[in-house]
Amino acid sequence: MSQKTLKYILKRIILAIFTVWVVITVTFFVMHSVPGGPFVGEKAVTEAVQKQMEAKYGLDKPLMEQYWTYLTDVVQFKFGPSLKQRGRMVIDIMADGLRTSVKLGVIAAVLALIVGVVLGSVAALRRNTVLDRIIMIITTAFVSMPSFIMGSLLLVAFAIKTHLFPANGSTPAGLVLPVITLALYPMSYITRLTRSSMLDVLGQDYIRTAKAKGVSRVKMIFVHALKNALIPVITYFGPMLAYIVTGSLVVEQIFAVPGIGRAFVSSITNRDYMMIMGTTIVLAVLIVIMNLISDILYKVVDPRINLE
Amino acid sequence: MKMKKVLALILSGAMVLSLAACGDSASTAAPAESAAEESQEEASVEESAEEASSTEEAAAEETAESEAPAEELVTVDNDGLNVCIASEPDTLDPAFNSAVDGATMLVHLFSGLAKWTQDENGAFQIVPDAAEELPEGVVNEDGTVTYTYTLRDGMKWSDGKDVTAADFAYAWQRAGNVGTGGDYYYMFEAVKGYDEEDPNAVLDVQATDDKTLVVTLNNAVAYWNELLAFPVFFPVREDVVANESWATDASTYVCNGAYTISDWKHNSVITLTKNENYVDADEVTMPIINFFLSDDANNMLTNFKNGDWKLVDDVPTNEIASLKAEYPDNFKIEGQIGTYYVCWNVNEDILPEGSGLEGADAENARAEIRNAISLLFDRNYIVNDIAQGGQVPASSFVAMGMTEPDGSEFYKNAGTADAYDGYYNVAEDALEENFNTAMEVLKKYYEFDESTQQFTNFPKMTYLYNTSEAHKAIGEYLQMALAGVGITMDMENQEWATFLNTRKQGDYSIARNGWLADYNDPICFLDMWTTASGNNDVQFGRGAHAEAKVYSLDLTDVGQDVKVENGTWAETYDVLISAIKSETDPEKRFAMMHKAEDLLMQTGCICPLYFYTDLFMVDDTLQGFFSNPLGYKYFMYCHY
Repeated sequence: MSQKTLKYILKRIILAIFTVWVVITVTFFVMHSVPGGPFVGEKAVTEAVQKQMEAKYGLDKPLMEQYWTYLTDVVQFKFGPSLKQRGRMVIDIMADGLRTSVKLGVIAAVLALIVGVVLGSVAALRRNTVLDRIIMIITTAFVSMPSFIMGSLLLVAFAIKTHLFPANGSTPAGLVLPVITLALYPMSYITRLTRSSMLDVLGQDYIRTAKAKGVSRVKMIFVHALKNALIPVITYFGPMLAYIVTGSLVVEQIFAVPGIGRAFVSSITNRDYMMIMGTTIVLAVLIVIMNLISDILYKVVDPRINLE
Repeated sequence: MKMKKVLALILSGAMVLSLAACGDSASTAAPAESAAEESQEEASVEESAEEASSTEEAAAEETAESEAPAEELVTVDNDGLNVCIASEPDTLDPAFNSAVDGATMLVHLFSGLAKWTQDENGAFQIVPDAAEELPEGVVNEDGTVTYTYTLRDGMKWSDGKDVTAADFAYAWQRAGNVGTGGDYYYMFEAVKGYDEEDPNAVLDVQATDDKTLVVTLNNAVAYWNELLAFPVFFPVREDVVANESWATDASTYVCNGAYTISDWKHNSVITLTKNENYVDADEVTMPIINFFLSDDANNMLTNFKNGDWKLVDDVPTNEIASLKAEYPDNFKIEGQIGTYYVCWNVNEDILPEGSGLEGADAENARAEIRNAISLLFDRNYIVNDIAQGGQVPASSFVAMGMTEPDGSEFYKNAGTADAYDGYYNVAEDALEENFNTAMEVLKKYYEFDESTQQFTNFPKMTYLYNTSEAHKAIGEYLQMALAGVGITMDMENQEWATFLNTRKQGDYSIARNGWLADYNDPICFLDMWTTASGNNDVQFGRGAHAEAKVYSLDLTDVGQDVKVENGTWAETYDVLISAIKSETDPEKRFAMMHKAEDLLMQTGCICPLYFYTDLFMVDDTLQGFFSNPLGYKYFMYCHY
């Protein structure tokens, strides 16, 4: 790797840390300015208990002091206790959620990539046949359908009408439907991407040369064409992972998957300040890293891209 | 010529450079030029393909690995009963729990001095559990009452140690202390030594030996035995709870009840396995219960429909009508002690501009107007066409299900009229009469346009509710009913925690509200309206209302020397509530509680709409299941 690239990556990492700091600061102050607190409920606790709890979690201190304490804790990876789930640490709750979410996300991403590339290549090679048309119509439909509609449709079809899969996402079998829901959009996108770039590559001179030299069809497709056709797909990797991270917020809600997305949403409703901060930071770091990786990938696959 | 040579040199140099650049990595467009290069490329592709497949394998192995233990944890391949009552409980520590779903799990996990049961006729009873019996208290010279309990023999904690009276004493000192920070510590209010604010307060509870627990109350409390069955009174062991996160993991959770937590997959499922150490283990028929954790009513319904879950405690509101038709044997409506109501901000001025009324006259006028508006609503329509869950139209605040000492229903005795229960007649055929009465009152204060049949100078109001389709639908009905007579009410919805805060601060004119009983005694509906109460959303006795001298109280008929004419809220209601709390005679106590509700309803600030019901879906092959009036569900005696 050239020095220029290293310098670029370093610069990006510093920028990423800055971004995360901005996210922490904005979230912290916005969160505290929203009315309501972690200890309110339909039945109000007495003032004495309220004070007791606020003192216990340091919420009685001036806001700037709380902010500073939180920042110094967070750089040491101390995320504190949950204010709502008594006795549990934010880091443990997030670890529980991440384990499920990462599984869901990785399976969805791999599924989307494999199926998308295969379908896209098939469509390109069988261009203008019925098969091509069907693939295109289906993928257009999936690309334009929001995940909450897709999820509900799948629920009705496979959980209620046919009982093939459980509706609850907390069991491994229950992950099937959420994975499909999450994967359909990127899969369709990749299919379309692969198809158009494959068509582009197949029309190139070097493919004709290879043909003329008698290279076998299989070798031509997999070795010469696909390799170059996949470049735009690789560059889609970053946006896809970002989509999967944010999309899981919705999908986890629909299928009751106990992931970090659901923990994030419920922490806001509960005003669980520690959980809100923890999950926000984790999601922000995830997205920042995805973007960084995707930008670096651009450079690796296509040297013509200027990182500056 | 020279120029051409230079040009050629530059060009060829550029070509070399560009070729070098292409060779740098997989190029975008440059076709393979030579056979040598081609084979090289081939090799690299094969290599990377190998790499790819091996990483894929590794990935597959990894997922298999990470899924295998997860499968053990998550899938419940036991023959247990699958139910879903709510999402992950905030806590399963008896001292901290204040939720009904948490209480349901706790009654399966712990054995307190008393417990709820249902007899063959379906009547609920409080019976001894960890105590040999529930004796009457002994009245001391100073009026305090001492109860002495003997624990049953052979009781063990789930880790095998003996349950002692000291465990109970410790648990009560802990749960009843403000310093612990539990929501329900005030349940120990009746116990001598309790202090609402002092963390150093010590309750008068002692273990005189391993088997004997002695507790002294400030005065006799009618619902004391019921409190003993309440989770906050369950025992915990000091060495167990020393670990602050003891109640968050199956491995550290030690309890003494019918079940133990054998597995807790956070946010997924809590598995309860029958505790063979439990003294009444032979009565427990359900060996394993899986509490699935979800708060999504649609998701619950889906799982119920496909047969995975045998009981779900929530149903989507818009499905109620179709579920009742489709699952007549599964759709259950049980009574629940609670009231859905609309509350006014007592300090909101709803008089027309230039009414000329001031002070006490203005307050009385507002009360009359608010009461009149309460008559404009058709509660039967709300119950039958909007809520649709078998709710009961309400005309009093203390909910249906609260019983008097003689066993009759408190709400039936409420109000002054004999012809109907409560403070107004909510029968369907009384609607027109109510409407006319209301119009008559309102016409006294507001300009009425006979041609349009509408009031023209009623100040605009805003109805505040928390974001939910069900609350919105009810709000829209109220809006429509008021619009019919020319009263404009805008709708504003707020997210839950914000809403609670706004309502508590009194930053509203009229708002949706609801209250569920903690225990079967009307005081839990009444003491929330004292001036200092944290639940006094109406703002009684605060702001301008603190000065309003419009309330009267006469307790001479119950033998107390209290008589106030035209007093403030603090001089009447607050005094009455503390009098109720120290009254030991049940007859007099209930008479006073009716007086308190009379005062409350006189203000017109509370507009009850309906009494809650508890809706759930349960598999009809399941036998032995019951749900108590507080909404706790009991699965231990279930069988098929």
